[in-house]
Amino acid sequence: MAAEMSKVMNVRDAIAKFVHDGDELVIGNYTVGSCAELVYEVVRQGRKGLTLYSQSGIFDVEVLIGAGCADKLVSTYVLRAGGKKGGSAVERAMNAGTIQVEDYTNFQYNARMVAGMHGFSYIQVLEGAIATDIFRKRSFMGENKFRIIKCPYTGKENLTVPAANPDVCIVHVQRADKFGNAQYWGALGSVAAAALASKRIVVSCEEIVEHDVIQSSPHLTIIPAYRVDAVCEVPWGANPTEVLGYYNIDQFMYGLFMMMDGTADGLKAWMDEWVFGCENRAAYIDHYVQKFGSKTLDGIRCKPYYSAPANYGSAFTSRWDKDGRERAIGMTLAEFEKTLKERGKLYE
Amino acid sequence: MSKPYTLQELLVIAVAKEIHDHENVILGVGLPTTAGALAKALYAPHATLMMESGIIDFEPLLPLNHIADAHSCRGFSYATDLFSAFTMTYRGFVDVCFLGVGQVDQYGNLNTTCIGDYYKPTMRLPGSGGACDFLSYAKRTVLTMLGGEFVEKLDYFTSPGYLDGGNRREESGLFPQGTGPTMLLSTKGIFRFDPVTKEMYLAQIHPRVKVEDVKKDVPWDLKIAPDLSETPHPTDEEIDFIRHFAPAMSAGRELAMELTIANLMKQVKG
Repeated sequence: MAAEMSKVMNVRDAIAKFVHDGDELVIGNYTVGSCAELVYEVVRQGRKGLTLYSQSGIFDVEVLIGAGCADKLVSTYVLRAGGKKGGSAVERAMNAGTIQVEDYTNFQYNARMVAGMHGFSYIQVLEGAIATDIFRKRSFMGENKFRIIKCPYTGKENLTVPAANPDVCIVHVQRADKFGNAQYWGALGSVAAAALASKRIVVSCEEIVEHDVIQSSPHLTIIPAYRVDAVCEVPWGANPTEVLGYYNIDQFMYGLFMMMDGTADGLKAWMDEWVFGCENRAAYIDHYVQKFGSKTLDGIRCKPYYSAPANYGSAFTSRWDKDGRERAIGMTLAEFEKTLKERGKLYE
Repeated sequence: MSKPYTLQELLVIAVAKEIHDHENVILGVGLPTTAGALAKALYAPHATLMMESGIIDFEPLLPLNHIADAHSCRGFSYATDLFSAFTMTYRGFVDVCFLGVGQVDQYGNLNTTCIGDYYKPTMRLPGSGGACDFLSYAKRTVLTMLGGEFVEKLDYFTSPGYLDGGNRREESGLFPQGTGPTMLLSTKGIFRFDPVTKEMYLAQIHPRVKVEDVKKDVPWDLKIAPDLSETPHPTDEEIDFIRHFAPAMSAGRELAMELTIANLMKQVKG
């Protein structure tokens, strides 16, 4: 692939170019390794009117909703800070009437992405949910949250959900090459489906690696280059969540967030310092280290436990053996061409 | 006599005993993951521990932070995705799963979505996550209730237990035969479900708790097992395992949080 095929961009440009007001935006990560820096940049650029999809809303959803970026949320799980006495940006926005929430189960939400990823218009989900309020109570999707159809083969009633094809997916992974091949390992969750269902994909990664690293470990690639629009190298890009093989969850920073998230003022103060107050991830890490020292971050760096290499090697890589003979036919190239000529296969 | 224990240690052990050897187990975060680790260490060495994030057959070295925590185990045997974790449950390959409770009614139906009105909640709880689909299709489900409440009617029906009781779950045609909640653990005792009426009754009571203490939390006329037993005193081996593996679990959520915040504030002040 040629150098001009590189999709490497900085986060600011990637979000400016690929995330627009009014988009359906999906956070590709699930519970772990959230694309924190991409989320913060969406907030810094003041996107409005997003329909936000998140398999499991953690601090990322809280920040986007606390900043007023989204007016619709599709999710299965949301964060609550401080237990019964605490609160959350989602709860505050629901009560203020500034967000509409559509609740699904983990499987249903993921199934919508799987359908979208494969180009289907709907998909069957597990019928037990028909007995519950997840089926009965609907928000902005109304009739189209679920439909029941009759299976043409068994005659049984099937619960279905519509495919989701968000406008853009933002997602953090361990590593990628400059073309966009994105490698992710650990809890696979629903990361690949969320990305592949989407029309545009912005990837941030801990490091950009040589293409040969990708080529020798394709089982780790969850998003192929041809689907990716932008690749951003962002070390510590998921802090305070964790990235397997790079760093653990940052209980200290997560704790700071959770202490502030329970009230609107608290969350605003936290965002003023850690989102708006830091122009990019490098500035965020600088601020972190300046304020608290480097002990916390040093203490959560992962020690190596490498995957056993899978041998992608082969007996040979050319049809011609070391003596220059074709392996099946047994001829040299000269003998072969002579034969082609004798048999009348060559044209001037 | 074994050494003194905390209430949380007693609870973890009670839950761990619901895991049998050679079973496939879906673990939720918090108390169940510690219970899973304990079971695997002491009672059920051949159990396959699984999480809905697609982490299958893992040996926890640390208490898990959440259900996608691959950092707390040194690798694992099978990396699949969330979609497949649920379809394998649907196909009947999950023997037992564990779910937390916000509200529960007498037939083991659950609310983990909201308190008050769904659209304008007094308190927005996490939501379903995997709960609804697991309670629908795991062969057995163990409910763990540390902060939740028993109610006559759920504010929101998130996950299906025995619906209106009796045969209603099986008659609905939505669930495999014989599935449903089998046990609920609270800080006061262990509840099970009547095989015919499917109503929850008190089967076991924790030490120092009186039946009246249990009854006062329950808005319906709670039935008590004629052979009501007391939760046994933990062994030293059980206590030592939990205290070493998950000290915060031994302390309980409130004390662990208090100690953590105190330590956090110390670090903030430098």
